Amino acid sequence: MTFHPRESLSARLTRMNLLVSGVVLLLAGLAFFSYDLVSFRHTLIRNIGAEAQIVGENSISALLFDDQQSATTTLMSLEQSPDVKGAILSDAEGRVFAKYGQLSANDFAGHSLGAKENHRVWFSGTQVIVAHRVDFQGKTVGIVTILAQLSEIGRRARQYLLIAGIILLFCMAAAVGISSASRRLIAEPISKLADTALLVSRDKDYSVRAKIPVDGSEIGVLVDAFNTMLTQIQERDAALGEAQAELEGRVEERTAKLRAANRELEAFSYTVAHDLRGPLDAITGIAFLLSKTSEGAEDPAMHGLLEQLTASTMNMGMLIDDLLNFARASTTPMKSVPVNLSKIAREIAADLTISDPRRKVEFSIVDAPEVPADPGLMRIVLDNLLRNSWKYSSHHDNACIEFGAKRERERIVYFVRDDGAGFDPAHAEKLFAPFERLHGKSEFPGTGIGLATVQRILARQGGAIWAEGAVEKGATFYFTLG
Amino acid sequence: MRRLLAASVMLVAGMVKAVPLAAVAAALPPAPSQLDVQAVYLFDFAKFVRWPEGQEHSTLTICVAGQKGYAGSLTRLAKGEQIDARPLAVRVVQTAADVAGCGILFVDVSAKDQEAAMLTATAGKPVLTVSDIPGFLDSGGMIQFVVIDQRVRFSVDLRATTRSGLGLSSELLKVAVKVNGASGGTP
Repeated sequence: MTFHPRESLSARLTRMNLLVSGVVLLLAGLAFFSYDLVSFRHTLIRNIGAEAQIVGENSISALLFDDQQSATTTLMSLEQSPDVKGAILSDAEGRVFAKYGQLSANDFAGHSLGAKENHRVWFSGTQVIVAHRVDFQGKTVGIVTILAQLSEIGRRARQYLLIAGIILLFCMAAAVGISSASRRLIAEPISKLADTALLVSRDKDYSVRAKIPVDGSEIGVLVDAFNTMLTQIQERDAALGEAQAELEGRVEERTAKLRAANRELEAFSYTVAHDLRGPLDAITGIAFLLSKTSEGAEDPAMHGLLEQLTASTMNMGMLIDDLLNFARASTTPMKSVPVNLSKIAREIAADLTISDPRRKVEFSIVDAPEVPADPGLMRIVLDNLLRNSWKYSSHHDNACIEFGAKRERERIVYFVRDDGAGFDPAHAEKLFAPFERLHGKSEFPGTGIGLATVQRILARQGGAIWAEGAVEKGATFYFTLG
Repeated sequence: MRRLLAASVMLVAGMVKAVPLAAVAAALPPAPSQLDVQAVYLFDFAKFVRWPEGQEHSTLTICVAGQKGYAGSLTRLAKGEQIDARPLAVRVVQTAADVAGCGILFVDVSAKDQEAAMLTATAGKPVLTVSDIPGFLDSGGMIQFVVIDQRVRFSVDLRATTRSGLGLSSELLKVAVKVNGASGGTP
């Protein structure tokens, strides 16, 4: 595994070195060339000027004594200058007296000296024209005009390019050499560091270390710091792991203890309830026998006491039943068979109607489809909910109790609704806590275990229960299964 | 102005018969006659001649012997001119007795009878002798005009100039048709 950036550091360094040396060379070459060009031009112009002057001096007698042959001979001396392409010698009146080279008069057209000028240079491109007035004894005897082509300049430019190219090659070689050195010193350690960092971030393996010979440079510091950081991360990781393992162990231990305690408690309460049932049945039986045997005796006080006793034993029986249900709700093994909730609800409604025929309660029970559930536990659920509705609507002359089902998203929500006493929504969360009651015992009798049992059963089946209601506006209990 | 000048020159020269001609010549644009060319050359020779020391500031007198009247042209050319800082003067001479004080002596072909006398009179003296008489150099003269292809040219005898203590510029020798007595030869 290696880190492959789009452009490696060493390539960048090489390119940078080349760029810098290339630019420096180019600028230096340009500077030298410009200087050379200027000085060369200057020298050339001066030389041609001097030649014009010499030719002029040597042509004085030829001009004065009308000796064209001599003048031509004098002009021929310009052969020695390779740059001079042509020259003309004109007399004081401006007539061409002698000429040199293969040039026509047109080449010199427009390049004549003014009346007061003695010397003048015209420069255009690589062509130089120098005109020089020939004076002798205070009189103009003629004008020499020389045309030179600076072909030398082009040759020099080529020479410069060649030299610059060769130096550039050397520079490239030097840049490659320098960058290989810098690669060893800079790029390699950094790319190794990058490799290691990549490895660490990809594999989350904090045990690796950047193995790079460390020197005193910033790279050394970087490598050191990187390794130290890895060590610290590793240490922290280990400490974190230990703490987590310890925590998990503790949680497990606590959970186990809690479960054991719960089991013990449930077994205890079941045993208590179950064992209380026997003596209570005995008390109930004895009370019944007492009331039978005392039927003849007209002792109203004793009769009242016996009635109270019977009522108390009945209450206690209910409490024990509820406690047993509550215990059973969490311990009984669960079945899962198709259950017709509507049928169960109707049976309970019939039971309730029979238990107090004087009450006018209208039951409205829908035909809900069968659902997979535990029939015994579902009976406890519906019994508790319908019985609650029955109970909390008992102070109304007419009551209406409804069992229904509706589809909400992907699940079926069942509900039991009454128009009874309702409850204060602010205390809704207390409804399902064991032994919590929102109404006084004198108002509505009860143990406070029913809804807790319901909630526990539904939770075991993967369902839930919640309630809506308001004081004297009735209550609706919704529940779901699984 | 030119007319007046020409008249005064004629008066000095005393060439009464030539006055109308000279006046006409002076008034017209210079026709490039051989005569005029010779006059100009005569004037220009002075610029290439080195006279012995001691004459640097004296007037350079150009003397003309013969019937031909270009003394006027010469006078006109010389007017206000200086050669090597020497003022110029033009004088007409009739006999060898008049040549004293001349820096340059021109003997016209019309004064051929005076040639020998004048050369004798100037022999050894720093006087540049010029003439268009054929064989002038052989007679001991220094510069002789010749006409080649209708152009006025000249030959030089260095022995005569050397004898007289006159120096001739190499520039002059360069354009001479022939240079007698030169150690190197003509260019």
